[in-house]
Amino acid sequence: MILPTRWIKIFKDMWSNPSRSLIVIFSIAIGIASVGMITNAARIVQRDLYGQYSAGNPSRLSIYISGFPKELANSVAGMREVADAQARRTLSASLIETDDKKYDISMDVLADYQNIRINRYNVDKGAATPSTREILLERITARELGLDVGDKITVEIDNERRYELTVAGIIHDVYILPMTIFGDAFGYISMDTLEWMGETSYYDRLDIVTSENPGDKTHVLNVGATIRDRVIEPAGYHVMRIAIPGVGSRPGDHWAHDQIKGFLLILQIMGILAVFLSSGIVINTVSAILVQQIKQIGILRSIGAVRSQVAGMYLANVLVFSVIGLVIGLPLGLAGATWLSYFAANFLNFDVARIDLPFNIALLQIGIGLIMPTGAAAFPILSGTRIPVYDAIYQYGLNNHSKVSQFEKLFSKLRSIKPHLTLSLRNTFRKKSRLIFTLVTLTLAGAMFIASFSTRDSLKAQIKEVEHYTVFDASLDIPGGANRSTVLREAMRIPGITLAEAWSESTGVFVGADNRESEEFTIVGLPYNSQTIHPIMIKGTWLQGSGIPQVVVNADLIESKPDIKVGDYVNLKVGDHKRQFQVIGITSKHLFGSRIYMDAESYTRLTGKQNQVETVRVIAVPGKPGKPAFQDSIARQLEERFKNAGLSNSIATTQNSFFNSFTDIFNIILLVLMIMAGVLAIVGGLGLTGTMGINILERTREIGVLRAIGAANAAVLQVVVIEGLVVSLLSWVFGALISAPVSPALAAIVIYAILNTKLNFRYSFEGLLIWLAIVVVIGILSSLAPARRAARLRVREVLDYE
Amino acid sequence: MQKNQKLQTFKIIDSDTPPLLEVHNLTKRYKTAAGETPALNSVQFSISQGEFVAVIGKSGAGKSTLVNLISGITQPTSGEIYFQQQPIHNLTEDEKALWRGKHLGIVFQFFQLLPSLNLIENITMPMDLCHSFPLRQQKARALHLLEQVGIVEHAYKHPAKISGGQQQRVAIARALANDPELIVADEPTGNLDSRTAAEIFDLFASLVDQGKTILVVTHDKEIKKYATRIIELVDGEIAGDYPVESLTRCEADGNPVQKVVSFQPTQTKPLGYWGGLP
Repeated sequence: MILPTRWIKIFKDMWSNPSRSLIVIFSIAIGIASVGMITNAARIVQRDLYGQYSAGNPSRLSIYISGFPKELANSVAGMREVADAQARRTLSASLIETDDKKYDISMDVLADYQNIRINRYNVDKGAATPSTREILLERITARELGLDVGDKITVEIDNERRYELTVAGIIHDVYILPMTIFGDAFGYISMDTLEWMGETSYYDRLDIVTSENPGDKTHVLNVGATIRDRVIEPAGYHVMRIAIPGVGSRPGDHWAHDQIKGFLLILQIMGILAVFLSSGIVINTVSAILVQQIKQIGILRSIGAVRSQVAGMYLANVLVFSVIGLVIGLPLGLAGATWLSYFAANFLNFDVARIDLPFNIALLQIGIGLIMPTGAAAFPILSGTRIPVYDAIYQYGLNNHSKVSQFEKLFSKLRSIKPHLTLSLRNTFRKKSRLIFTLVTLTLAGAMFIASFSTRDSLKAQIKEVEHYTVFDASLDIPGGANRSTVLREAMRIPGITLAEAWSESTGVFVGADNRESEEFTIVGLPYNSQTIHPIMIKGTWLQGSGIPQVVVNADLIESKPDIKVGDYVNLKVGDHKRQFQVIGITSKHLFGSRIYMDAESYTRLTGKQNQVETVRVIAVPGKPGKPAFQDSIARQLEERFKNAGLSNSIATTQNSFFNSFTDIFNIILLVLMIMAGVLAIVGGLGLTGTMGINILERTREIGVLRAIGAANAAVLQVVVIEGLVVSLLSWVFGALISAPVSPALAAIVIYAILNTKLNFRYSFEGLLIWLAIVVVIGILSSLAPARRAARLRVREVLDYE
Repeated sequence: MQKNQKLQTFKIIDSDTPPLLEVHNLTKRYKTAAGETPALNSVQFSISQGEFVAVIGKSGAGKSTLVNLISGITQPTSGEIYFQQQPIHNLTEDEKALWRGKHLGIVFQFFQLLPSLNLIENITMPMDLCHSFPLRQQKARALHLLEQVGIVEHAYKHPAKISGGQQQRVAIARALANDPELIVADEPTGNLDSRTAAEIFDLFASLVDQGKTILVVTHDKEIKKYATRIIELVDGEIAGDYPVESLTRCEADGNPVQKVVSFQPTQTKPLGYWGGLP
């Protein structure tokens, strides 16, 4: 096949500078791949996770009842407002791996395994129905514990009775919070097994699907109240609470719906950023190609090429890059989507049905792959081919422009500055569009970097605040509760402990004037003068004394109930008990979720639980938690003493380990943010290198003149490096300015995605200073290579500029 | 009177055939930061087909400006240029490019070959741009032209792999690619040694023999051995315009040329560039 010479030139030019061609191709490929990966993975996750979630008919409402027979579910299911209702019992126990290694396990019982109508599970392996002394393990639990069908497990109930169960099947239950995230094992057993383990045979939860508006939270909660008032309570059963399943979600939404949305948003921002950056690199590189080929453009024009032919050649060149970029980017995007989908599937416990590339996403990628680079390159190509033939052949490289900009006038007035420094400063502002592109990339990187640091600092500050609420060496949960004085006595026997506090905990709701119940929150009963909490009061005061019907709420609760004010009276309900309290203070946020604090005596009056406590907190030196190693030792002693006393088999938390668990999660997301900022910084640096390279090319003759009039290598180097530094320092200033609005926004998005809450923002001046050091390094490194190239140019070749 | 009889008078354009190129009152002033700098001032002449015209003059005399104006690379401040009686001066940039592609071949001092293409491709490029020859014939024509300029054995090499003289031959072959009527060369031997320069002038002379018209700007004194006509520029104006035959004859007679006749207006200034004839 004979190719027209223009095409030969396109291919040969591409081949003549393979590194530059590869940069453009990979930039395009990365842009295409990022969009494909993120869009397709988001589609696959939504299709398969949400698809599998709704396919199993998710429960829209859970009603917790104080023990009922399965017939009650049939009565509820018969109501006009209810599409279906299903009874369930949950038994909490410990799964014993070894004597030292235990896991909390929830064992659920369903009334009819042959006919599961709500929250249906799929059988991965083995039996679909557990027989007596058998358990069906959720697949994440089985995987995490290395269990398979036929294996035996030991469960311990009430810290004393142990039973051996056979794993009869491995099931996949998408409605269960996975063990990998929440740490609890999960399995299904039969009512026979439950009875065999010495438990009374009853159900304690109704899962409901409403017949109308199953996604409308208010409607669903109203249906719950109707069920309670019309069927459950008239039948003589007590409703403990009515709740929407999940973590603050809408009825029927996956439990991680908001978090997934948050992460997808972050990924989408990354995708847009990737496209923006790759188009930036395309612009920069095509500009470099054109600058290098300006003379060739002049030659082509002199031998008969019209402008459209020349522009067409370079656009065709970019199109070839795009096509190669697409060939790489499409499969790369699909591979990325596969990885991300399986990562999400593994994390959120769903099955990826199939990996495919739908036409619309492929079209989007092709569109971006073709339009983005050609669109980005169009400007430099059109402006590059507009240059008059004479200028292209004879004038390029001298930069003998006649217009003097305001900047140049300003710099020429700065007489105290050395002449070559003035030259650097003037050079910086000569090509404003190119300067702007480099500045935008570096500024964006800077803003992102500072924003990431600010997000980290905001989280750190928040965690630091949480220290006020965890002024202990170690804390231990006592599942099922224990007598206060027994707990305190045991705790005080630990050598070195001078203070022990026992706290009580329940789940409660607000009851409105219309008897409507609010979302659930935690009610904490504690000594009003507790020394293991030093709350930061935003408004009002801390608890004043014992037995006064007053409460203090935290800011986390105010976020979901903003109408609550200090001085308000609220009706609290725990189980069947209701009582009115006055809100006397609001504490700062402390990441434990919505909480209400009241003194121990008020707590007893509200809950009816006399002297029963659920947590013990100990400290050696009140107000001064010890070093991590000391805390660990106290924790071990606390665990041992409470285990020996038959009070608790739980794992104690130290103040230090509590913070570590927080920071671990945040570090992952911060790492992602820092990687993003790092990539931006590298791209910004590459952009600056490219820009400096183009600037040097354009001013080859000027450098020759400098050399001819006696400028030494060092002086030429200095002129170029200072120019690079000026650009990077300018980007730092702009980055600092832009980070002011960007940082709080990013911090808010990230924190909301992780914690589902808002936090006070703290700007990171440390990040600002570190970024300053980084941009200085970028400025020097980016300009060193072009500067050395400039310094190596010989006067003769430079002045010929051939 | 006898002395007067020795004075040679020539009228270059006197046939009924219309000239190939006509230049009327061509003026070019460059705008610089220091103000306007005149480069050419009301220059006019015409060139007939088959002439080998050399434009000579000192640096800054306006020689290259003249070539650039004629080839449409720069735009005149005022004046007119006609090629085959068609106005060139008022064409758009693209129309000029098209016109150059079809009718004019340019040879530059620094050859200006495309470095990524081999010699054949450098020559087929104008053919491809102007669609002047079918794709299948382009390579054969390029080889033929390379043979004509004497470097066909290097056909598949890249410009960087051959000498300056050879590169200039390729540039001439490229200028001939679309079989233009006029070839314009700006200091084509400025970057070459004297022996290679002579070879290039020989090549131009042979092209003239084949019916091409050549306008060459040069400092090279040897041009008088090849050109059929010399135009001397001094400070942007034509100081002399005469056939080389007259120079040679005067030289042989030992008489200085005191007057030359050119296309209107007749120039009467003595030759200054070479300080009189050598």
